[in-house]
Amino acid sequence: MFSFSSFYEKSRNKDILAGLFLISFAVVLNLVFGYFAMVFAFYLSFFKWDYIGKMQFVGLHNYMIVIRDLSRGLHGYPYILAPFYTGLKNILIYTALVVPIQTFLAVVLAAFANQKIKGQQFFKVSYFLPATTSSVIVGLIFIWLFMKTGFINYVLVHVIPGFKPIDWINSPHYLLLAIALVAIWGTSGHFMVSFLAAMQAIPKDMYEAAMLDGAGPIRRFFFITIPMLKPMITYVVVMGLIGALQMFDLAWIMAGSSGGPGGAGYTVALDIYNEAFTRIRPGVAAAKSWFLFAIIFTTTYIFQKKYGRAIR
Amino acid sequence: MTPKEREILIKRIWKVVTYVVLITFALVYLMPFIRSLVASFMTWAQASHYPPQWIPHPFTLENYQKLFRLELFPRWIRNTALYAGLIIAGNIVFSSMAGYAFARLEFPGRDAIFSALLSLLMIPMFVTLVPNYIIIYKLGLIDNIFGLALLGLVNVSSIFLMKQYFVSLSDEIFEAARLDGCGPVKAFFHIALPLARPALGAVAVYQFLGSWNAFIGPLIFLRSPENFTLPVGLSFAFQRSMWTEYTPIIAGSLVASAPTIILFLVLNKYLIRGIVITGGKG
Repeated sequence: MFSFSSFYEKSRNKDILAGLFLISFAVVLNLVFGYFAMVFAFYLSFFKWDYIGKMQFVGLHNYMIVIRDLSRGLHGYPYILAPFYTGLKNILIYTALVVPIQTFLAVVLAAFANQKIKGQQFFKVSYFLPATTSSVIVGLIFIWLFMKTGFINYVLVHVIPGFKPIDWINSPHYLLLAIALVAIWGTSGHFMVSFLAAMQAIPKDMYEAAMLDGAGPIRRFFFITIPMLKPMITYVVVMGLIGALQMFDLAWIMAGSSGGPGGAGYTVALDIYNEAFTRIRPGVAAAKSWFLFAIIFTTTYIFQKKYGRAIR
Repeated sequence: MTPKEREILIKRIWKVVTYVVLITFALVYLMPFIRSLVASFMTWAQASHYPPQWIPHPFTLENYQKLFRLELFPRWIRNTALYAGLIIAGNIVFSSMAGYAFARLEFPGRDAIFSALLSLLMIPMFVTLVPNYIIIYKLGLIDNIFGLALLGLVNVSSIFLMKQYFVSLSDEIFEAARLDGCGPVKAFFHIALPLARPALGAVAVYQFLGSWNAFIGPLIFLRSPENFTLPVGLSFAFQRSMWTEYTPIIAGSLVASAPTIILFLVLNKYLIRGIVITGGKG
């Protein structure tokens, strides 16, 4: 079978050449803008630079700036003197609000929609619609809805007895909550659709068996649906954490690049942006971005360690 | 009341609760869009009135006319379309090539290279943002839509999606082509690409949504107002308080989000299914 093996050999070589050619563009671009950029970010974090002049090696100085900022923040300095601490504190509160609420809401809404009901597609479409809209536009529209004489206060006054209209956007106490509410509004519907699909993949006979044993819809939800959804829940929480900890767009629009009144809407991502492009300290920005990476990595790692890996 | 009747009653109550919850939340998710649509035809005096009003009186197109009288607004639309077009084209061409190679061809280091690409998904964009700014700056492509597009020309998630799709195709057709003497590149153009139309459509739609709505990239890499995309342009139009009234901003937001909303409404069945598939695995 000499001829066959040489034919095979030839086609193997062709495969190698074609394969390397076909991936070359994707690999080169990702090598430059992904891996090289990462190495460069690490290198940069040890230098003082203004983009134009000479780079000056400063050792761990940039990291020390971040640590000093954190310690100043812990000692109660105002946010201008401890911007990273303020951003970190805000983003942790924000994440603690957004991720549990949006996951819970998405699961519950999916469970309600996962029954024999009319108009399921209508509900899916309307819940998903916010996710197709740019967060900038969502933010701009919500600034108007959150105004003191705006629609949201109007609704709340009529739904909650004794509610007094709040100036959400201009209040240091409510700005972060307003941003969190917008984020929950924007993403929970998206995750609801993911949960709904996962629920529809749960075998029907499990529910039928439980029904024969006399389990009502609420018991079935807690003892069948939730355990079967565990990988999906982990996935949604991990995705939610990654998104929330890097939040930038909504804060930029609703609070402004300096974080709004008292820095109430300041985030770590805004701080990295300001280091790099307002205070022109790319080295410090790089050091701060590695802190952000460490925070995202450890929270998602700990969560997956505790509750099992996400589907990915 | 017999137990049977009780059961029927409980079922009925449950049904009512279900619809009340679902409809309430549908209203919550839709209301901002409905309110903005209504307000975009109002004067600012009426749109800011408390309690809120529902019927534009007087009905006015002034907010939209104001936008298009602004020289920059049509430019922002064109820039956004150009950026989205470049991103879509780049991702379709390069991710289908790479996805096909990773799925269907054998070459040394294939799996290692693929997982190296995938692990880039774990890196927050803020880590690579400043270095990429410097790279693009050194290339002299700051304030240039093409420089900005260069960064997003091949997304790892598109490569992943295309690879998954090519893996799912049956081996037989590729084997048959190979035995007929069809080389790997020819098989890519004549067999793989025509079969990949649904996956290419999905890549195009996701990249469209992503690039049309993108903010941080355009914010950093574009500098002069005439080069802005819609999200950046609108955010600055608001921040610099070029307006004493907010209704043109609302109208602008609606115009800017119309393409993605219409696309979603037209394709909702496919999109929701596709997002579930990629969301679950990618």
